[in-house]
Amino acid sequence: MKRTTITKLLIFVLLFITAQSFAQNYTVTGKVTDANNVELIGATVRLKSDASIGTNTDEEGEFNLKVPEISGALIFTYVGYADKEVAFSVGNMFLKVAMGADRELEEVIVVGYGVQRKSDVIGAISTIKGDKIEDQPVSNVASSIQGKVSGINVSNASGTPGASLLVSIRGLSNPLYVVEGIPLISESNSAIATSYDTQGNVTGSGQSISSISDINPDDIASVEILKDASSTAIYGARASNGVVLITTKRGQAGKTKFNLNYYTGVQSVLHPIHFLNSDQFVALEEEARQNDLNVYNNDNMAFGPDFNPAVLTNPLPDTWHTGVNTDWMNEIFRAAPINDVDFSMRGGSEKTKFFFGTSYFDQQGTVIESYYKRFNTRLNFDHEINDHISFGTNLSITYSRNRRSFNDDVYTGIVTNAIGASPLMPVYNEDGTYSDFTQYQASWLSDNPVKSAHEIIGYTNTYRLLGTVFGQIKFAKNFAFKSSWSADYTYLTDNQYFSPLTVDAENVGGKATDANFNQLIWLGENILTYDKKLGDHHVNLVGGFTLQESQSASQSISGQGFPEGSGLQLVSSAANITGGSSTATGWSLVSFLGRVTYDYKSKYLFEVSARSDGSSRFSPSNQFAFFPAVAGGWRISSEDFFPKNEVLTGLKLRASYGLTGDQEIGDFQYVKFWYPITYDGQPGLAPRNLSDPNLKWQTNKMIDFGFDYELFGARLSGSFDYYKGNKTDLLSEDVIPGTSGFGTITRNYGNIENKGWEFNVDATVLRSAVTWDIGANISYLHNEIISLSTDGVLVSAYNDLAPTHILQEGEALGTFWGVKYLGVDPETGDPLYEDLNNDGTIDDNDAQIIGKATPDYYGGFYTDLKWKNWDLSLSSSFSIGNDVYNLIRGEYESLGWSDQGWDENNVLYQVYANNSDIVNNRWQQPGDQTDIPRASLINLNVYQNSSQTIENGSFFRIRTILLGYTIKPKTTKNFNSIRIYAQVQNPFLFSGYSGFDPEVSSNGGDQPSTAGIDYAAYPSARTFMGGFSFNF
Amino acid sequence: MKTFNSNKINSVPSVKNLCSLCGKTFFLSFFILTILISFSSCKKFLSKTSPNDVADENMFQDAASLESARIGLYNTLQDVNYYGGYFPLMVDAHSDNGQTGGYDSPALDELGNKTLTSSNLYIENTWIEIYNTIYTANQIIEHVDGIEDPTLSDELRNDIHGEALTIRALAHFDLLRMFGEHWDLTSTYGIPIVDHIATPEEIIGRSTVSATYDFIIGDLTAALDLVSNDDYRYDPVVPKGHQYITNDAVKALLARVYQYKKDYANASEFASEVINSGNFSLASNVSDVYTTKLSSESIFELTFSSLDRSQYNAATYARPDALRSEVLFLANENLKEFFAQPDRTNDSRAALVDFVNNDLSIEPDGRTQKYRGEDFQDNSAYIIRLPEMFLIEAEGSSFYPPPESINILRMARGLPAYTPQDVFDGNEVINERRAELNFEGHRFFDLAHWGKVQEVLGADVKSVFPIPLREVTASGGVLEQYPGY
Repeated sequence: MKRTTITKLLIFVLLFITAQSFAQNYTVTGKVTDANNVELIGATVRLKSDASIGTNTDEEGEFNLKVPEISGALIFTYVGYADKEVAFSVGNMFLKVAMGADRELEEVIVVGYGVQRKSDVIGAISTIKGDKIEDQPVSNVASSIQGKVSGINVSNASGTPGASLLVSIRGLSNPLYVVEGIPLISESNSAIATSYDTQGNVTGSGQSISSISDINPDDIASVEILKDASSTAIYGARASNGVVLITTKRGQAGKTKFNLNYYTGVQSVLHPIHFLNSDQFVALEEEARQNDLNVYNNDNMAFGPDFNPAVLTNPLPDTWHTGVNTDWMNEIFRAAPINDVDFSMRGGSEKTKFFFGTSYFDQQGTVIESYYKRFNTRLNFDHEINDHISFGTNLSITYSRNRRSFNDDVYTGIVTNAIGASPLMPVYNEDGTYSDFTQYQASWLSDNPVKSAHEIIGYTNTYRLLGTVFGQIKFAKNFAFKSSWSADYTYLTDNQYFSPLTVDAENVGGKATDANFNQLIWLGENILTYDKKLGDHHVNLVGGFTLQESQSASQSISGQGFPEGSGLQLVSSAANITGGSSTATGWSLVSFLGRVTYDYKSKYLFEVSARSDGSSRFSPSNQFAFFPAVAGGWRISSEDFFPKNEVLTGLKLRASYGLTGDQEIGDFQYVKFWYPITYDGQPGLAPRNLSDPNLKWQTNKMIDFGFDYELFGARLSGSFDYYKGNKTDLLSEDVIPGTSGFGTITRNYGNIENKGWEFNVDATVLRSAVTWDIGANISYLHNEIISLSTDGVLVSAYNDLAPTHILQEGEALGTFWGVKYLGVDPETGDPLYEDLNNDGTIDDNDAQIIGKATPDYYGGFYTDLKWKNWDLSLSSSFSIGNDVYNLIRGEYESLGWSDQGWDENNVLYQVYANNSDIVNNRWQQPGDQTDIPRASLINLNVYQNSSQTIENGSFFRIRTILLGYTIKPKTTKNFNSIRIYAQVQNPFLFSGYSGFDPEVSSNGGDQPSTAGIDYAAYPSARTFMGGFSFNF
Repeated sequence: MKTFNSNKINSVPSVKNLCSLCGKTFFLSFFILTILISFSSCKKFLSKTSPNDVADENMFQDAASLESARIGLYNTLQDVNYYGGYFPLMVDAHSDNGQTGGYDSPALDELGNKTLTSSNLYIENTWIEIYNTIYTANQIIEHVDGIEDPTLSDELRNDIHGEALTIRALAHFDLLRMFGEHWDLTSTYGIPIVDHIATPEEIIGRSTVSATYDFIIGDLTAALDLVSNDDYRYDPVVPKGHQYITNDAVKALLARVYQYKKDYANASEFASEVINSGNFSLASNVSDVYTTKLSSESIFELTFSSLDRSQYNAATYARPDALRSEVLFLANENLKEFFAQPDRTNDSRAALVDFVNNDLSIEPDGRTQKYRGEDFQDNSAYIIRLPEMFLIEAEGSSFYPPPESINILRMARGLPAYTPQDVFDGNEVINERRAELNFEGHRFFDLAHWGKVQEVLGADVKSVFPIPLREVTASGGVLEQYPGY
């Protein structure tokens, strides 16, 4: 007995061990398809009880998974579909799995202070999911939505590394960015200007670096763009230009997943301007002189009574025949590497989840010396204490270092100096010193551009911490209360050093400015949510109270006279302190918000939202403003009377109306101030401004009608919206009579209307062995100034140029002003301009409206193709109907003109500037039909502020082409997937534009009233890159 | 029983309950914090004051803030678009003394080419800046008598009041000679007079030329009784520096205004008073005037420092090897020819213009040497100097015999005195003014005063500057543009 028992026990144990060791022998097989019975290739299959056991479906959509248990459940996941759990047991080891209908139905999207099922959304909201972003190596979040979403125009205003992108939603730029619930300032992050004129005065702030540049695109789970008033009104006071919600990735329960991403690439200037070589340069000059000689021979008084024609015939000096041939574009531009490495891990249990990501991004600029480097770490953590209470944190720390390119947009810049530099000028003298630009043939330069790049040294370092801690309690079944507290801390330092070799500082032995800026914005939000489903009725209520406050301070100090050869660059080494400043400011905002959404059978949808904001930026009597919105939706396709058909399978009508506001006017604008000054060493106070104590919120009233449609069972889907927005009580610098003592006052005035429509379509062309998706969007925009307090005010993009724009009722913001160019006289080759006042001279008095910066239509299309493990995607964008005021063209189309560059012996030593190859089309003999005038030494045949330099800025460009190959192993034991890809960004630009890029805007373009100027801004790049993404 | 049970649970909590408890505490502390902050007054949370500036309502409360405003008033004169540089320089650029360089900037070229348009940015900025000075002066004038502060003596109160009146008159006068037909008392093209703190909505049109003169002379005459040559801030009282408005400066300005008005009797009377005050003397070496601050010739000189720079050096010299494009305001070749005339052979002022040591691109034009000092760029604005008093006196006299005043100046500058045997053509004073006052903002006004603008600058050149288009637009056309612009 005993023995038998022991034997039996032994056998049982052995059997058990055997069973254990052969446990994997149970095999579950099956086939995965979509709702239409199309096989899904590469769907992930995992055992529910042990996520490390898993596989992917093969080319027939079939799988074969060895499992350790005789019964259990498998989890099926596939991008674009809802996850599905299917049980298996003895006798049921072959599973035929039809993945749930398109996840679309259950997809939730983030809205202000909550989430909504996509099907229940009534507002005009566009969304981009993280999987669309993570496949695209980009440095800035905004570039991942370029051309992909209707109603949003994202343009690369500058090629500066780390530069901000210009995002405009329905024609209004500078939207509110809300990252993980924290509204961010969207202005430039730099304490000091980087643009100076030759007198050392600040002429512009330089290219701005965006505050969302600090967000690592790899960390992003989704981007939602709120366009209409019903979706934005809950952000009330700051939402009038639209809202961009950015949600970052969070942890997921299950096995910890690791992701390592790396890409590397090389950037080069997309569309360099080609300049004449030294032979062509000399030939142009000889032709200019010959042309003028012909004119002079016909009419000896053509160039005035004192003109001596010897300058037209004297041989050019020997310095014109040195054989030097410098290609300046080559000297200042380079093929610049770009590298990004990103590591993340996410995981946790059902109760505790985390996401950790860290990345390092290094972008060298295409202009020599410039670069942008960013190091970023993020930790998102969630913990459920019990079924009712949970809390979590988001923390992001960023350090970035930017070597600035100086004076990008002004005439003392590196690019601007290289434009027009004489090809006969070498970069260096024979002894290795920088060549002296004053000794060569182009007077346009203010310094040797290569010297400027090396010897003006400017860094901006940014330290940024974005952190949130939040807690949530669910009580009484339907209630949830969430409280979150956030801090956005920025510390920024700027160091600028002009070495004694530079023209700017040669008199003073070098000069430098050190500056810093720090800002703490804290935010407290308390949101109560009630959600109740009662039969067919569904009610959701949101109520909240938020507080936000900012405190910032900046300091700067300047000095000059540095110890020779010491290499020291900080102001403490300067012999003389020449300036210093220290200022501080702050604002605060108190808000109450609420929203009611109701739907009946998801068929009739209704929403009311409102926010009341109080801001310290307005006088106590006007601090609070109320921003309500109302919206309704009707899923008409769910009605019984809606004819059942195979074509139009879904249709939802939407309408909304609401108000939003704007308070971006700077602090304390309602107060009349005296500011500290000095005279004769005595401190004093001088008037700073006039103010309007009745200053109040600017409001944007927007109405929106739209519909969402689905054709052929959602194989084709999209939406259409028509909107009309009226910005009233504009907060801006209004022109007042100078007799008041000031030129402008910040007050509410005028009314600007933006209206238009936007349409998009997404289509699944194929979903079989090959899946093929395409999508397209187009937006029409009409911007018009309805009223102004002073009509017809002329404004200039640069404070030292003639007016470039006009603000006029009935015209668009950003309307160009200048003299109208009528082309070239085919007989004489002279340029012709419209003499509007018929006074016989062409000057600014003949100026008129000659173009506009805003496009009529813009949009883009994309295509995604997948076959087996391969994927190929392409995205593009276009813009139609916008003009660019190519002000710098006056320099590189000066056609041999010399600004009196001859000596007393009438020997020509200097002309204005070298020219680009566009002058190869110049008029050369009677009868030539061209719009480029003849070359002339004496006459300047280009008029800068005229339509001669206005060009059509319409373009079509391929933004990206990406080819990827994904390796998915049979088992996920070692790793989940490896994806290898190659991408070209900006491969093709189709445009007639003669400058670097029609999208480039020299003043950053964020001032809509002076948009569309090209003054040789930092050019955009074409990038070839390759990389891999390793999931394990 | 119930009570007991719950006590038991509380005292021996399970792990789960403990967690829920700490969670509740956690939540509770959030909630309490929230409530505390929410119900502390919103108004208080929303009230912010600027640490950088002083609100208007806090000004003019006592002697100290009046003093601050007085320094502020002088500071408004220092603006780059006024006496910080561009006002005097653009007036010379728009004459046969000057030429412009720079980067083909349309606004600058218009000045150099004498083809002004009403959208010129330099003129637009200067207009606003001069009225900014007037606004600041009006603030002081309106508030000075209302300040109740026992430490403010009557002498000091009157002195500051008078300085503000003088600067308000100076500013109106600068506008009149720039934008008005100052040489013609019958003209309606005066300038808008602002004798109070104007509101942003207020639209003010031109006054007549004679009304403008009356206003300016009224202010200066009132100031004559208020402004002292002494500084009452010190005990014992010390003489006021000439970087401030003194009683002598008021007289000198009156002399200048009467001279423009062609009221030579009054002009000469005030000029002689200044000359005979004994407070000023001609420099033994003319270059001293421009290399030392507050030379013996300066009646009112606006001073700057390396921390409070003017634009004169940057705009007229830049650096030794400067190209034409770097120098905004050049000396016209015509000025070289002027000093090359045989009768100016020994004129020591010729050395103050350099037509030799310049980059080829600047030639044949040159650069003035009145504003050197590239290191600190703290060059003064020479608003009114003693030589002008001699020249005003001379203008009012007959040249038979030649007046002593012009001869004193000529001899001080290395030139021979005029003798009764010399033949005079009536250009003696304007030429002497050109030699003495070039690049100090007089030449174009002199040409208009003597009616020579068209003769010297060209038939199409008008004798006044255009009212900025911006102002015509902002006033809805009430501010009348000068005919022809």
